[in-house]
Amino acid sequence: MARVVGGIGCSHAPSIAHSYDRGLQNDPMWAPLYQGYAPAKEWLDKLRPDLIIVVYNDHMNRFFFDAYPTFALGVSESHPQADEGWGKRDLPDLPGHAKFSWHFAQSLIEDEFDPTICQEMTVDHGILSVLPLLTDNRWPAPLVPLAANVIQHPVPTPRRFFRLGQAIRHAVESYPEDLRVLVVATGGMSHQLHGERFGFVNPDWDNEFMDRLEGDPQSLVALRHHDYMERGGAESVEMIMWLAMRGALGDKVRRVHRHYYAPMLTGYGLVVFESAGH
Amino acid sequence: MDQATYRDTPIAGTTVFTGERSRRGYRINKLAMSLTDEANRQAFKADQRAYMQRFGLSDREMQLIEKRDWNGLVEAGGSIYLLIKIGGTIGQNLLQMGAQMRGETLEAFLKTRPGHQGNAVEKKG
Repeated sequence: MARVVGGIGCSHAPSIAHSYDRGLQNDPMWAPLYQGYAPAKEWLDKLRPDLIIVVYNDHMNRFFFDAYPTFALGVSESHPQADEGWGKRDLPDLPGHAKFSWHFAQSLIEDEFDPTICQEMTVDHGILSVLPLLTDNRWPAPLVPLAANVIQHPVPTPRRFFRLGQAIRHAVESYPEDLRVLVVATGGMSHQLHGERFGFVNPDWDNEFMDRLEGDPQSLVALRHHDYMERGGAESVEMIMWLAMRGALGDKVRRVHRHYYAPMLTGYGLVVFESAGH
Repeated sequence: MDQATYRDTPIAGTTVFTGERSRRGYRINKLAMSLTDEANRQAFKADQRAYMQRFGLSDREMQLIEKRDWNGLVEAGGSIYLLIKIGGTIGQNLLQMGAQMRGETLEAFLKTRPGHQGNAVEKKG
C-alpha cells in the first residue's frame, strides 16, 4: 500500500523563479528566502519520496477562460513547461506517473471529486517557481499535477480543498504498490496584484494562517473566500489550496520546519509537516 | 465599484474577478493569452493595432492597451494574470504596473517595500 509520508505548503511566485534564474541566492533581499528553504531541502533529500502530488493553480498558461476547469489532473508520463509570456526557463520537463494518475482519477471520482483529465498538461510557476528551491535533483521523483481554479470566481470553498486532501490520502492509501508519497500545495500568501490596494501584504495574517493550518485547520475551513481576500488581498485567496495538503496528512501533524519572509509584494511562506497519527 | 456577480461586501481598492468580469473582459484576456506564443508576441509588437483588431477589441479597449491604463483594463474585465502578459510583451513589469495602479512612481512605491529598505519581515520557525 502507498502512504503519505509528508507534506509541504509554500508560496509560489514568478519572482521566486526570477531570483533563481538570475542566481540571486546570496543577494541581500533574496538570501533569507533561500536560507529558509535549506532545512526543507535537506529534509526532502533524506525523505526520498517515490511520488510527489502537487495541488496548485495554473495562471492562464495551460488553461484559458474558454474552458476553465475547476479541478484538472495531469495523467501523462511527462509534463512540459508552459511559456508564460516571456519564454521558457532552462528546466527539464517534469516526469509524471501515468499508472498512479489513472488510479488517482478513479479514486477521486469515487470520492465525488471530478477533475478534468489531461493527457497533455503543461505546468507553470505554480509548480516550477518553488521546485528548484526544494531539490538539487532534476527531478527527485515523478510528479502528479492537480490544478485548481482559484482565479475566476466562483472558486471551490476552503472546505472543498480540505476534503480534496482527504480524497488524495484515500487515493494514495488505496494504491496497491508501496509508494512513499509527498503531498505539496502551493499558493501565494497575502498579496494583491491589482488596483489601489496593489502591494498589500499582511504578515500577521499569514503567520496566523500557518499556526492554524498546523493546529486548528477546521477554523480555516470555516472561513469564507471574502475573509481571505479581506485579510490577505484578492489574489491571496489561493492560499486555501494549502488546506488540501493539510487534509491529506490526517488529524495530527508534526511540524518539521516553518519559515516566513515578506520583502516585497507577498509573504513567502513555507511549512513542512509529517503525519502524526490519524 | 461594480462587484457584479460577487455576492459579498466590496473590499476597498479591490476588484474580485467574477464570471461577469471574465465575460466582459474576454477579448482582452484572449489577446493576452495568445502572447504565451513567441510568434504572436512578435506580431503584437510589430503592429499592435492590427493585432488588437484581429482579436475584435473595441476602440475603447484598444485605447486602454495603447495607454497602458492598467486600472482601466482591470475595470474592463482584464485579469491581472493575463494583463501581465501584455505588460511583459511591451516591456512593463508587474512592479511598474502596480505602481501605476496605486497612482505612484515606481521609486515611490519601492520605498514602501520592506525588502527595499532592508527591514523585511522574517519569521523563522
